[in-house]
Amino acid sequence: MVAAHNLKHALFCAVITLVISWPIMGLKLEAVGTQITLQGADPFTWIAIGVAALAVFLFQLFREAILGRLGMLKSLNPMADRKPMPQEKRLKLESIGLTLLIVLALIWPFFVSRGSVDLATLVLIYIMLALGLNVVVGLAGLLDLGYVAFYAVGAYTFALLSQYWGISFWMALPIGALLAALFGLVLGFPVLRLRGDYLAIVTLGFGEIIRILLNNWTNVTGGPNGIGGIPDPTLFGMEFGRRVKEEGNVSFHETFGIAYSGEHKVIFLYLIALVLAVFTGLVIRRLMRMPVGRAWEALREDEIAARSLGLSRTGVKLSAFTIGAFFAGFAGTVFASKQGFISPESFVFLESAIILAIVVLGGMGSQMGVILAAIAVTILPELAREFSEYRMLIFGAAMVLMMVWRPQGLLPMRRRQIKLSTGE
Amino acid sequence: MQDLLYFGQQLINGLTIGSTYALIAIGYTMVYGIIGMINFAHGEIYMIGAYTALITITGLATLGVTWLPVILLIALICAMIVSSSMGWAVERVAYRPVRGRHRLIPLISAIGMSIFLQNYVHLAQGSRNIGFPALIEGGFQFGSSGNFQMSISWIQIVIFVTTFVCMTALSLYISRSRIGRACRAVSQDLGMANLLGIDTNRIISATFVIGAALAAVAGLLLGMYYGSVDPLFGFIAGLKAFTAAVLGGIGSIPGAMLGGLILGIAESMTSGYLSGEYKDVVSFGLLILILLFKPTGLLGKPEVEKI
Amino acid sequence: MIKNFSKLALAAGVSAAIALPASALAEIRIGIAGPQTGPVAQYGDMQFSGARMAIERINAEGGVNGEMLEAVEVDDVCDPKQAVTVANRLVNEGVSFVVGHLCSSSTQPASDIYEDEGILMITPASTSPEITARGYELVFRTIGLDSMQGPVAANHLISLEPKRVAVIHDKQQYGEGIATSVRDTLEEADVNVVMFEGITAGDKDFSSLVTKLKQADVDYVYYGGYHPELGLILRQARQADLDATFMGPEGVGNKDINTIAGDAAEGLLVTLPPSFDEKEVNQALVKAFEEKGEDPSGPFVLTSYTAVQLIAEGIEQAGSTDPFEVAEALREGSFETPIGMVSYDEKGDMESFEFVVYEWHADGSKTAVN
Repeated sequence: MVAAHNLKHALFCAVITLVISWPIMGLKLEAVGTQITLQGADPFTWIAIGVAALAVFLFQLFREAILGRLGMLKSLNPMADRKPMPQEKRLKLESIGLTLLIVLALIWPFFVSRGSVDLATLVLIYIMLALGLNVVVGLAGLLDLGYVAFYAVGAYTFALLSQYWGISFWMALPIGALLAALFGLVLGFPVLRLRGDYLAIVTLGFGEIIRILLNNWTNVTGGPNGIGGIPDPTLFGMEFGRRVKEEGNVSFHETFGIAYSGEHKVIFLYLIALVLAVFTGLVIRRLMRMPVGRAWEALREDEIAARSLGLSRTGVKLSAFTIGAFFAGFAGTVFASKQGFISPESFVFLESAIILAIVVLGGMGSQMGVILAAIAVTILPELAREFSEYRMLIFGAAMVLMMVWRPQGLLPMRRRQIKLSTGE
Repeated sequence: MQDLLYFGQQLINGLTIGSTYALIAIGYTMVYGIIGMINFAHGEIYMIGAYTALITITGLATLGVTWLPVILLIALICAMIVSSSMGWAVERVAYRPVRGRHRLIPLISAIGMSIFLQNYVHLAQGSRNIGFPALIEGGFQFGSSGNFQMSISWIQIVIFVTTFVCMTALSLYISRSRIGRACRAVSQDLGMANLLGIDTNRIISATFVIGAALAAVAGLLLGMYYGSVDPLFGFIAGLKAFTAAVLGGIGSIPGAMLGGLILGIAESMTSGYLSGEYKDVVSFGLLILILLFKPTGLLGKPEVEKI
Repeated sequence: MIKNFSKLALAAGVSAAIALPASALAEIRIGIAGPQTGPVAQYGDMQFSGARMAIERINAEGGVNGEMLEAVEVDDVCDPKQAVTVANRLVNEGVSFVVGHLCSSSTQPASDIYEDEGILMITPASTSPEITARGYELVFRTIGLDSMQGPVAANHLISLEPKRVAVIHDKQQYGEGIATSVRDTLEEADVNVVMFEGITAGDKDFSSLVTKLKQADVDYVYYGGYHPELGLILRQARQADLDATFMGPEGVGNKDINTIAGDAAEGLLVTLPPSFDEKEVNQALVKAFEEKGEDPSGPFVLTSYTAVQLIAEGIEQAGSTDPFEVAEALREGSFETPIGMVSYDEKGDMESFEFVVYEWHADGSKTAVN
């Protein structure tokens, strides 16, 4: 009887698989001249659809058996029943590991090519963004789908300040970050009393509104033309360009009497991004252990319980939101400086989705996980160009699979795991 | 007089868009009413419905079918079957396993699904805008002043009528039928409904299927009305429809209708009297204002925080 | 310890993996940068097929000063962020000449890097005036500017003696740039421009806009932007019985507009570069494309071909592969190319680039209008 029911269900699932894949994948709409025609897909696609349906059928038919086997596999995993290391030893090892990593990151750029360093700068920018969003989503449990708005505020602040008042990178960095934080505060104040999913939509709306306004306010922001000619950072008034662009500055290579090389600039920018990313990581690490960090997590886990213990809901949420926005502003300033040119198309919803994917894949709340995920997400499409077509498809699928199988992420946050294993 | 006609014409435009927003909004509102989650991928299901309809119409044209009612009927049925299957599959794969977990988890899963489906169609069908044949053409004019005539096209009338019929039928179905009663029971208390012998999994699946079928209807109608499809247009339409659902009070079917119409009119008036580039600012602004000052929407019931 | 070791190993592996090797310079390497994937990949294909063909033909004739050309292709997805990444990668590869990029918003940040690193860049497709307006030495293009195309369109409109004109654009760099230039030229000639307004790119519903155009009682509408939106506007205008003639830039002159607008595309006016592939002198080249199964009629195929050819001729004239000397040679000389005689002004723009007004037909064909 069970088997019959299983068979029916499995058949049904296989048919559904065919129905949802056959018309969309198997029949392609093509414009031939001015007419739309249907073209059948190549045999490979047909085979793939058939195999998919068959796989679904077999899986559903032997569902119990397969899941049972999988469960057994888990117990074979040597890592599964490994006892967590003692707290102190682990912390010590972790700090040694992190220090080594940072030292490596410091000396590495001098031995590799310019393109790699530039890519690494981009990775660091994403690390900053993801660490910032991690505070909001991972720690405080507020789903922010418009995070890119604060990133845009940071980038545009620097671009506009330098264009209209000639303010340098170092002055603009704190201003950009503070302004982004202020935006976070002002936007957050009214919306943070909303429930989780409403909050997600409202932040998405805010992100879009900011982008549309940047695009429409042509007189100030240049609208879709963006802002170009954003200066590179200077080192104590020394410029890294071939020629000095600003009065009163000297150029780096002339001061030290070395030949001009474009790599100096790229490496310098990389080092700045590295320092800022480390700073971001350390500050957030501290905050996590401070009362405010505990309050974030408490509120995430159980809002009502946290409130009855006297935590101010708005205050705690607002602090997380503002701090997240602050670091997005940081990242935005570095991004503007690296690009030299920004336009609203760099700040679309897709960017928010990518940053969110990084946080989710890395493990919400876990810093190490987020850093590794940022590296993976940025570098994989560069390594395999064919992969870049499928990048967003894979991200989407990965987000779903992570939520289903491993919502705590690839490298889950430690504290939570310990708490669970001591029996809650 | 001309100003009045102009206003009337913009009102008709707004009501047309609003009707289709309402059809899509049903999917959001029913799912939210029953399991309390935002089905982010619903906009993509609408988009897939539109693509399937176009594929069917093109296929029928190749086969030489020319009788319009047959084409429309077959396209509608195919679109509804594919969309409903998609809705069912999405619920099975992405939402059922995470049901009952922390609120963020189903939401992130839904966003992932939305990104996945967008790119699935993008990879399978390409990113081009593809023209959708205007099967129902013509219309009639009434009232003219100077050079301006107010007109309404047949397709607009079809959209109004279809939306109205679908809404009425759905309301009756929910209030009279067995499944409808079960739906209401599940939305009030899922656990209790389960205890009373209602197969809640089935009911939840049914909600997704019904919502997706209506989205497919909207996909076919809007494809014919506007004239093209691309893999990205579901996302924005979904957001707008969600706004409509929230505006009218999420969980309420008449609310979705009301919210859709208000949003459609607001958009067309913004384009008509202000500028088209601020249309999205106005609709998102409206959403934010409603959520801030009346989070339960116009026709929604206040939600009590349960401890 | 094992865990930390594996972390280190991972980091080392990643850094090793992205340390791209800089290979030896045996030939003249030319970077081709444009979108191979993403939403505008179809335009990128035109660019790559034109540039590849030029390299093949030049090599078949013995290369440049005895040296062969070698293409280094990179994909920027038309994303400004990726453009900077691939520009740096080209620097790595030791490339001295680049044909690219396609989208203006990618060309602009990438050209900063090329100029800094002494790489000569010729864009076959970016039309934003900003790109050559920054006093760069090594930036050239083989295509006309938005500010050249706008006046051509506007002057044609003026010759039609319009009563009321609306100018619409899609709020993007390309569309808004051309639309602004059209409006300015029209207003200088005292044409009554009753509307200047943006729409949202990617939108589908233009019924409100069409109603507004009807109310404004316009007889001509200029649209700055691409074909998907204009196709829908045309179709929805036809549905609402709006009786006006539409005009657009080369971004709308694409057969895809017919699949969207259907019969409503009949009579649309489009400014396009002259069809280089129909010229007598280019027939041998056109045949070569057709033998490869490629279509030479796209707007960027022959401009890319020309870009490669100009690099080669510049090197020959300068007698050196130093980009600064080649740039000098390009500024001084004038060259016979598939897109006509090319000579450059100080900024790196072509001294003349012709645009022709075409009338578009419902079957996707076009006829030149005098």
